[in-house]
Amino acid sequence: MRRVLFCQEISKDYGSGNIVERVLKRVDLEFFEGQASVLIGPSGSGKTTLLSILGCLLAPSDGQLLIENSVVNFSDKSSLTEVRRQKLGFIFQHAQLLPFLSIEGNLALIGRNAGMSSEDIAQRLDSLLNRLEVFQMRKKFPNQLSGGQRQRVAIARALLHRPSIVLADEPTAALDWNTGRAVVELLLEQARIEKAVLVVVTHDTRMLPLFDRVLSIADGILTEQYQTAAIATTLITQS
Amino acid sequence: MESVVIPVSTKMLFHNRLRFAMTVVGIAIAFFLAAAQIGLLVGWVNTNSAIIKHANVDLWVMAKETRTLDYGTAIPRHRIQQVSSVEGVKWAEGMLVGWVNWQHPEGKRITVEVIGLDESNAGGPWAMGSGSVESVHLPETVVVDELSKEALGTLVVGDEAEMEGKRVIVGGFSQGVRTFTAAPFVFTSLENAIEYIPYYRDDEISYVLARIESNTDLIAVRDRIAAEVLDVEVLTTDKFAERSVKYWMLETGVGITVIITAVLGLLVGAVIMSQTLFAITQDHIANYATLLALGFHHKTLRQIVLAQSLSLGGLGIIVGLVLFVLACKASERSPIPLETTPLISLGLIVFSLLCCIGASWFSIRAIFKLDPVMVFHG
Ligand SMILES: Nc1ncnc2c1ncn2[C@@H]1O[C@H](COP(=O)(O)OP(=O)(O)OP(=O)(O)O)[C@@H](O)[C@H]1O
Ligand SMILES: [Mg+2]
Repeated sequence: MRRVLFCQEISKDYGSGNIVERVLKRVDLEFFEGQASVLIGPSGSGKTTLLSILGCLLAPSDGQLLIENSVVNFSDKSSLTEVRRQKLGFIFQHAQLLPFLSIEGNLALIGRNAGMSSEDIAQRLDSLLNRLEVFQMRKKFPNQLSGGQRQRVAIARALLHRPSIVLADEPTAALDWNTGRAVVELLLEQARIEKAVLVVVTHDTRMLPLFDRVLSIADGILTEQYQTAAIATTLITQS
Repeated sequence: MESVVIPVSTKMLFHNRLRFAMTVVGIAIAFFLAAAQIGLLVGWVNTNSAIIKHANVDLWVMAKETRTLDYGTAIPRHRIQQVSSVEGVKWAEGMLVGWVNWQHPEGKRITVEVIGLDESNAGGPWAMGSGSVESVHLPETVVVDELSKEALGTLVVGDEAEMEGKRVIVGGFSQGVRTFTAAPFVFTSLENAIEYIPYYRDDEISYVLARIESNTDLIAVRDRIAAEVLDVEVLTTDKFAERSVKYWMLETGVGITVIITAVLGLLVGAVIMSQTLFAITQDHIANYATLLALGFHHKTLRQIVLAQSLSLGGLGIIVGLVLFVLACKASERSPIPLETTPLISLGLIVFSLLCCIGASWFSIRAIFKLDPVMVFHG
């Protein structure tokens, strides 16, 4: 299996001078093609921070990040943008679609920015919107869609340019359980089809059995819990 | 420029159509305000120097320290012969300017500016509505402008009134001879003018107008006249026009007021622009952060803001320009014309666009400070 993402002893400090808070402590992680991981942990434990570093949005204080075996240079803003543009797909808690563009427009914009051809964009757009069951909505504007529909469009947007890594921070927090599960199932299915590395942060332990790996973070220390029925049950009863 | 800049910036603008329209109207009005003020200034400058420019002569000989055409003072009439005998002068005639009372037929008394014309009517009206300029050489006969018909109470050729207690007959109406002062122009012959103006003697005039021989140097002739003719000042037509304009614009303070209003108009436009653009940028700040996170360069976003400010500004300027052209047309036959020159219009447009770009500074700064990491924090 191809290693897509490699976190090497990544630490993150917030603050400066005497009041430095170490939020991530020497996190070592490898992600392989097509692997779906879920990241759990109490509030304030550093999940969003880790995801931001993986997404090349935040520079680590120590350690390095490798994407497809090349070291990410966090001091070069423009190269970070290029990495995000080509290699990454994001899904946020609230879909964060652009309100002034139609669903189609929202997707096409990302495709154009990633340098895809018009035909390629049209083809991808059709197949993704169909697979995510929002094809009928393509001419509508984001405010005309339900929360679940918006999140499905956001998944399509995250996958459109065939990124090798897809990151999602609490994508179902604003949805009810059934809608949320349906969205996560679609996300997992599509990411597997695309062979993308998927990392999802969630507070909902009922989601855990759906993933290949469960990563758990507490006080900035990451531990991996292998996905077995027993652990899943323990986690569910704990919560 | 990235190909997404134009569609994203326009869609973002059109998303709130009402605000878009209000902004364009605001900028249009501000631009119109500035253009109208400057148009007024140009119109006044043209009015100020119209008689001088239309006289179609090369040199003006006058009493020393004459500040403007309207305030000419007496010089001896034989200066005409003296000027015409200077080497290089082809032609010289006199002209007389004086201020007298005009009795409106209905009783009120107003001040008018009498222009006394020599044989070839140099310095006289350049377009006639009715009657002819030649009529000024008839006794008691004058030409007034159509624009001052009502003020003078003479409505048709042949109407009579009184000037300094003496009868005047209107022999014709000129077109478009505006006055910058409140006093209408009354054209007549040198001989008639002296009859009406109490403070001029028979052997006095205000100006000698001269044309030079072809192939002679204007400045050399000017200097020769100044050297050979006593107690006069000699100015080229351009210089005299400039001096007259400067007097009314600067020494009377009229011009300063107009210039200040024009600058204020542009400032108001820039502030409207700046505020709206900043509000639009702030409204969309979360969207800009999303775009950054999704792999758009800061540069592209700054181009989006610039494209927005240029399209808002450009549209506002176009609408303002249409308003201005309409106002120019409407004011053509009024005593206060709005006029412009291509260079001034172009300058104003360029300056306004620069104001728009400047107005986007706050927005661009907001984008500059934006950190895409905020996308995960809502
Ligand atoms: N920009 C920042 N400056 C200083 N401290 C920060 C900053 N961002 C996060 N933190 C701190 O870092 C810690 C981890 O934050 P993070 O957002 O990663 O937590 P989280 O696991 O995502 O929590 P939640 O489940 O509530 O979203 C918290 O204690 C938070 O207060
Ligand atoms: Mg978080």
